[in-house]
Amino acid sequence: MMIKPPASNGKTRRVRKAGLVVFCLGLLLGVLALSLPGLDSGIAHAAELADTGADTATYQPAPKLTAADYPTIKGVNSRIAVWLAAQLHLWFAAFVLAVPIFVFIIEAIGMGTRDKRYDNMAYEFIKVSITAYSFTAILGGLLTFLLVLFYPHLFQYMSSIFKESMFYYALLFFLESATLYLYYYGWHWLQGGFRKWVHLSLGLLLNAVGTLLMFLANAWVTFMMSPAGVDPAGVFSGDAWAAIHNFLWNPINIHRVIANIAYGGSIVGAYAAFKFLSARKSEQRAHYDWMGYNANFIAISALLPLPFAGYYLTAEIYAYSQQMGITLMGGVFAWLFIIQAVLIGTLFLSANYYLWCGMGRSDGAVRYHKYIKYLAIVIVGAFLVWFTPHTLVLTNEELKALGGPYHKYLGPLGIMPAKNTAVNIMILFTTLSFIFYRRANKVATVSWASAGNAIQIALFTAGILNIFFLGVYHGYFTNTVYKVAASIPQVLTTLTIIVTSTAIDAFMYRGAKQVAPLHWGRVSDRSQYALFLLAVAFTWLMGLMGYIRSGIRQHWHVTNVFRDASPDAFTPGLGYAANVVSVGTILFMAMVIFVFWIADVSSRKTAADAYWKTPPA
Amino acid sequence: MKIPRLLQAVGVIVGIYAGFVLVFDYLLGQVIPSSLLSMYMFFVIAGVFMVYTFTEESARELVAPIKALVEDPSKKRIRNVVFILIPLLVAGFTYQRMSPSFEAPVELRSIHPAPPATVKAYGKRYDLATLKNPFRKYEKAKPEKFRELVREGGDIYIQNCQYCHGDKLDGRGPYAAGLNPTPLNFQDVGTIAQLQESFLFWRIATGGPGLPKEAAPWISSMPVWQDFLTEEEIWKVILFLYDYTGRRPRSWEHE
Amino acid sequence: MRNFLKVLCFSLLVIGLFAGYSNYGIPQIEPAPPPVEEKLELGAMTMDKFIALGERLYNGKGTCTLCHNPTGGRAPQLESAATVASERMQDSRYQGTASTVVEYLYESMVEPSAYVVAGFGKAGSNDSESPMPDVSAGGIGLSDAELKAIIAYLQDLAGTDVTVSIPTDAAPAEAEEKTAEPPPAPRAALDTPDALIAKFTCGACHKVAGQVGAIGPDLTTIGATRDKAYLRRSLLDPNADVAEGFMAGMMPNIYGTQMSAAELEMLVDYLAGLK
Repeated sequence: MMIKPPASNGKTRRVRKAGLVVFCLGLLLGVLALSLPGLDSGIAHAAELADTGADTATYQPAPKLTAADYPTIKGVNSRIAVWLAAQLHLWFAAFVLAVPIFVFIIEAIGMGTRDKRYDNMAYEFIKVSITAYSFTAILGGLLTFLLVLFYPHLFQYMSSIFKESMFYYALLFFLESATLYLYYYGWHWLQGGFRKWVHLSLGLLLNAVGTLLMFLANAWVTFMMSPAGVDPAGVFSGDAWAAIHNFLWNPINIHRVIANIAYGGSIVGAYAAFKFLSARKSEQRAHYDWMGYNANFIAISALLPLPFAGYYLTAEIYAYSQQMGITLMGGVFAWLFIIQAVLIGTLFLSANYYLWCGMGRSDGAVRYHKYIKYLAIVIVGAFLVWFTPHTLVLTNEELKALGGPYHKYLGPLGIMPAKNTAVNIMILFTTLSFIFYRRANKVATVSWASAGNAIQIALFTAGILNIFFLGVYHGYFTNTVYKVAASIPQVLTTLTIIVTSTAIDAFMYRGAKQVAPLHWGRVSDRSQYALFLLAVAFTWLMGLMGYIRSGIRQHWHVTNVFRDASPDAFTPGLGYAANVVSVGTILFMAMVIFVFWIADVSSRKTAADAYWKTPPA
Repeated sequence: MKIPRLLQAVGVIVGIYAGFVLVFDYLLGQVIPSSLLSMYMFFVIAGVFMVYTFTEESARELVAPIKALVEDPSKKRIRNVVFILIPLLVAGFTYQRMSPSFEAPVELRSIHPAPPATVKAYGKRYDLATLKNPFRKYEKAKPEKFRELVREGGDIYIQNCQYCHGDKLDGRGPYAAGLNPTPLNFQDVGTIAQLQESFLFWRIATGGPGLPKEAAPWISSMPVWQDFLTEEEIWKVILFLYDYTGRRPRSWEHE
Repeated sequence: MRNFLKVLCFSLLVIGLFAGYSNYGIPQIEPAPPPVEEKLELGAMTMDKFIALGERLYNGKGTCTLCHNPTGGRAPQLESAATVASERMQDSRYQGTASTVVEYLYESMVEPSAYVVAGFGKAGSNDSESPMPDVSAGGIGLSDAELKAIIAYLQDLAGTDVTVSIPTDAAPAEAEEKTAEPPPAPRAALDTPDALIAKFTCGACHKVAGQVGAIGPDLTTIGATRDKAYLRRSLLDPNADVAEGFMAGMMPNIYGTQMSAAELEMLVDYLAGLK
């Protein structure tokens, strides 16, 4: 990584300068594109003016439907069909949107370090996503068809409100496709100096357009959850920006951007793991090991802040409607969060395991082996606390033995303060795993190394004590108001420790001595399964959370405005939802395998000289 | 002598399992629910596996005895024994899990449901937030009258309640074994000591059928005592419950 | 290929574990089915039934107890809402236009921000804005009659007199639904005036046959001042003559179609005999 760029002479400097200008132009364009929603509202405003001029009563209230208004096809469950299509579309879209984000970053790193390996890796990432891109489009089309087929009134109502954004959404896809193809097919053409800058700008534009597309689609989804710009009967006010900029739009936007990055990282990690397992040559193994490591790094970096984005989203759901918040966290869905805890715990465990296994790449890591078991004890322990449910499932005998359903010692672990404390500890120790991994191969040479170490130890100790104090004191010895309030200083403590200790580490290990060479590719096959576990658990988890995001609307198409009168309006139970999600995950995996296989086939060649006529001399 | 890693790992797992059982069931006296323990152990095993396999040598050492058992010709006898034992164990476990038992299926049911704000009994409406035991004031004002009331409450308890809740108020009356959910143990710190007297009045007066929806299904066999006892009798019984167990009713006021 | 199969089996196993845990590891709770719109039979409603309806709505469709409960502290308790209403209307922070308790309670449900009980406002609004939704709209969507039933329940809960009246005109949508239903089987004729008065709940509004309604005219000595023709006309077309001091349009215009001729004559005879 530390390869010095070649000394630049006057010419390259000039070229780079020109490149920078193009890059900045690209940045400007990106910002412009991002501000398009504003533009959109302008257009909507104009459209509204035109409307009011011609006819004021253009907008109808949300229709009141009966079961007969929903077309059916024999043998097809319309709700499950739409559910699967939407979920598959979302999985692919998340992947396709995420990959350009970190391809852009990796390409930039490659440009900064002039390390060709980064460029090759970025290219391979984008290559994987290109087939996935067409799958996204196909599934999006399928979803639209299914909606028009099975829920025509809903689709008509939605499109009457979002007519502008849907129209520009469709048009934007031309720009997205053009940029993506240019970015991918022009990769080898746009190399070196100025051209590389142009290429990087294309990457930025690609990301800007992709993000904008997602934001628009998010607006439709969040409108269904927290409608704005319509009156209680569902009559649209004509202000498209109000409908787009509804209450949950921004929380979902933030949550999805971060989650997409983590998800994209995990899928690419699975790809690298598979290539690693099937690689025959040692340099191939080294390459895919390195790629898998980087993908995992991206996934984990995005995973760490994700719980906080989730808290923000939940808080906003509560703020929008207490009723929706209580539906989300209590009653029927309460057990969903136990499943979620199990899944997220699985993600953390497998990510840590991958890091520990990765220490085998260096002989210097032996120094840290003895600490791993303590990390494991704390992480598993925190995880056990995290998924201890509030309501325990007891057999009758246990009920009798306990004298009631309340457990004196496990009961307190079931409530939020304990869980907040546990998740913060888990995040901190995952960070510690990563710090150990980074140090495995190095010995700090700076004069203040021991002082730096002491500071870091003090920082972690103080932070953990603070988190414990906040959790235990505010959680159990003050009233309810403080219970929830304590989670914010806890999160701030965690973030402070992560940022500070990473910064100290970066300075301390600048110019550090390598203990032993780092052998990329010297890692067990077992560790690669941790990457698969990460990808599968992530996919399944996204499916589950998709179900609850949609499920908390209960029997409404558009919350409190447009009632779902179809026979499928009921809220499905958790087992039912888990089965649909599992089927969806398997379908998605099958498609992803096809995508990976296609990416592989494109580089294969079969020599069939005897087949073709030899051209006449 | 170095303990083989496989044995170490198994030892750690068994140790943690025994530790959970020991700590919860014996030291703390609160059994750990089997559903939770099995989930705990699943992830403990995963964690132990992670620690014991993250380096190549350690993983190899861990698997070596298993590999040897399967491949080493000299271990033929023990291999045959293990290969017969394992399917038998699995079969036995499966049989045990699948065979129908007389145990009622597990139900989620909250036994201390949130009380309603008001309750209708004796044709009147009571506000549970402000409802007070009319006899409580005698405790300080007229101790001898209070003792008399408590004694009357004790008589009413023995005549009506002890069959299920027990003559020691510990929930182990003669009929207790036949009931599910079990009759409440008033001696326990988690029952009446956590509740206001008005809550008890509500639960006694309206019984099992008076439970709110969140406590469904209505399988509580607590009778609707307003059909059998007078209002005053219920208040006297409540006095007796607190007096006999030596607990204080919960109160939101500072004393 | 071997690797592929291994990875495939591994992934399927993981998915199977997740699905298995979700199906068997946790208790399966069946979410409540979507609520069914309840039809109100206002014609045959006594005040007790109306209060009971209000209680049902309060605990059920109205979702009031989600926040108005003693444990959450999200919203004020409503046991004494009907008694404190008059103080609230005098309060300087009161923004609404209500002048009676019924109006105040009605307003508090459709325009919750008119008066926000101290400490229960939206965060940061300094108690000027209520977090409560308009319960007549949106997801809760209580009808006018349902709101009145809840007011009746709240007044009963507070132990005050129930001053809200049972609305008589059902919503037009419900009327349409009623006509679409098959005609009910003819009921057996009632043979005493008392049974008739009980059946058609005359006592809910009138003082008659031991009942003490106060919405319509007192009928205990009606025979002394009115003749049979007048009484018959009043039953068949209540708005033809409206007694002084009472509003037109209060009495339902249904008795001509719902009573048989014999019953009508029996009732007219009975009323004319009250002197």
